[in-house]
Amino acid sequence: MIHLVLLDNEAVQALGHPDHAKHRRVVSYVQVVAHRKQRAKPIYAAVPTCVRVEAGWDRTAPASAFLNRLRVVDVPLDTAGANVAARIRHEPGVSVPDAHLGAVIQTSTSQKLTVITSDPKDMRAIAGTGDVTIVAL
Amino acid sequence: MDNFSQAIDRINELMDSSDGKTTNTSMRIPSALREAAGLVVSEFGAAPSTTALTTDALRGTVEAVVLQAVLDHHYTQHPKARPTLAELAIAAAELDGHPLAAKPDLLRRAAVEIFERHPQADADAVLLWAEARTFTSP
Repeated sequence: MIHLVLLDNEAVQALGHPDHAKHRRVVSYVQVVAHRKQRAKPIYAAVPTCVRVEAGWDRTAPASAFLNRLRVVDVPLDTAGANVAARIRHEPGVSVPDAHLGAVIQTSTSQKLTVITSDPKDMRAIAGTGDVTIVAL
Repeated sequence: MDNFSQAIDRINELMDSSDGKTTNTSMRIPSALREAAGLVVSEFGAAPSTTALTTDALRGTVEAVVLQAVLDHHYTQHPKARPTLAELAIAAAELDGHPLAAKPDLLRRAAVEIFERHPQADADAVLLWAEARTFTSP
């Protein structure tokens, strides 16, 4: 059962800065992912590329070294995903990064999906009928 | 850049490479293991081929080793970033949407109990122990 763990902007910020108040908490999620990978469980941490833009995470920047090394994969916004995200964006107050997150949730083929977010209410709204575990930071 | 950083970055660069080049490996695999892998593929559909089974397993192992090495290095540089076993158990429960995520005190107690006997236990062991305790408690 593939488990996809998605990070929102706040989660990325917390993970990328050791002085962030929630750094250790987000590191703990990544450590759980690491332990499960050691047991050969199919679990992956991922970030939608629009979220990565919002977070200012440039993979070519030296300051991003730690984040880059954590094997957090990009989920790019392709044509089909952009269509779903554009529909979600019509909802009041939904940002482009959140719309991309919503598209990933709604179109994911992973059997298990988790989103780490500072805005669980918004995530629940954009998840639609997608089956997702929402972890509130 | 230090040796550790160079090694990790090179490994990740290789892992992320879209270059489909393959190589005839010089690694010698025990014949019995190779035959067993072949049977696992042909009889149980574990992978499209023995090669795919082997490369997937190898990729998974490399990823796991790299990720833990990065985290361990980070903890050395930032000791306060290292989560406790209890925090890991809570994180695991939250990631899974496990009902025990709503009972962090129970998980903290379970972490203490498990750690006394099994200092190398991970979050999933604590979660399992805590869940088992809920079956037996009144």
